Amino acid sequence: MRKSLGGLALAGLLATSGAALAAPERIQVTGEAIDTWCYFSGVMGGADAVVGTAHHTCALWCAAGGIPVGLLADDGTVYMVLKLEGDDETNGGDTLLDVQSERLVADGLLYQRDGINYIVVEKVVANEGITNLNHEDYGPVPPFAIPELN
Amino acid sequence: MTRLGRLLLGLTLAALPLAAAGAHDKHLHGGGEAAKTKASMPAALPGPLPFKVGGPFDLVDHDGQTRGETDPEGQHQLLFFGYASCKAICDVALPRMAETVDLLEEDGTIVRPVFITVDPANDTPAVLKEATQALHPRMIGLTGSPEAVEAARQAFQVEASQVSRDIKGRPIYAHGSFIYLLAPDGEVLTLLPPVLGPDRMAEIVEKYL
Repeated sequence: MRKSLGGLALAGLLATSGAALAAPERIQVTGEAIDTWCYFSGVMGGADAVVGTAHHTCALWCAAGGIPVGLLADDGTVYMVLKLEGDDETNGGDTLLDVQSERLVADGLLYQRDGINYIVVEKVVANEGITNLNHEDYGPVPPFAIPELN
Repeated sequence: MTRLGRLLLGLTLAALPLAAAGAHDKHLHGGGEAAKTKASMPAALPGPLPFKVGGPFDLVDHDGQTRGETDPEGQHQLLFFGYASCKAICDVALPRMAETVDLLEEDGTIVRPVFITVDPANDTPAVLKEATQALHPRMIGLTGSPEAVEAARQAFQVEASQVSRDIKGRPIYAHGSFIYLLAPDGEVLTLLPPVLGPDRMAEIVEKYL
């Protein structure tokens, strides 16, 4: 698992273009990179079960399949990650796979739109890795996310 | 079953109880936004999108006609990038987008659903026509040359990369999955996470119309 991410790739892509535009707020968020589909839908289990090690494999698959990655802050707020340091594109990116389920301290720009929090992560200042070892309580969630060994 | 197969199964299962998704929408919003009813939403239009995304594109629709970012009938548009054989996020986002369009239509608002492929090699106009018409009768499928499709993706900053092949040998892509609301002239008004339920998407879209 990559712990340090590549160079900043924001240049010009998200530049605001006029005084009428709301300036983004610079924030630092500490929390876990999560699979937003399973977290919000509830279809794979309760919120405590679809994070951490219990849900890590499914979270990887979901991110690979295009499900947006979120950053679940310690206060329960979820920030939809528009872009992570090292991504070339705003909408999706393999880089996000590298941090699924990991606890990050992320510096970035907060955009609030339609009551939704979006974050462009400019710098992952710390990555504690996967710290929520909830598989001890829940096992793999869902169980079929784990490959069968034949 | 392969890991990929299990992923797709998982995503398919996840897509079934769509109504459940709205149950946790509140977690997405700051300040209790989700608890507000439509009547209590601020009346003022949101400002311009605070970052640059979108732009012109020059593609071919599922009937073989040239089509750009402007809607010829002057309709607002909901735009999603994906591919016809996708059994992952497209199977979640596109039905939601179609249902959102229907919810808006019930309120007398016509919005055009648009689907741009990230796989122009396989998604011919005929393939897209079958795929889109199965989802919504007014959905437009767009394809084009690899260069034209890539230009459209780049304009909307949508990443797409082939990660594997399915059992029929068709490519499987990881791709960006936000839904864009476009004005009739193609300007991006806002974006919608595909994890939102259709009710919430419709509520957001109506603020911009």
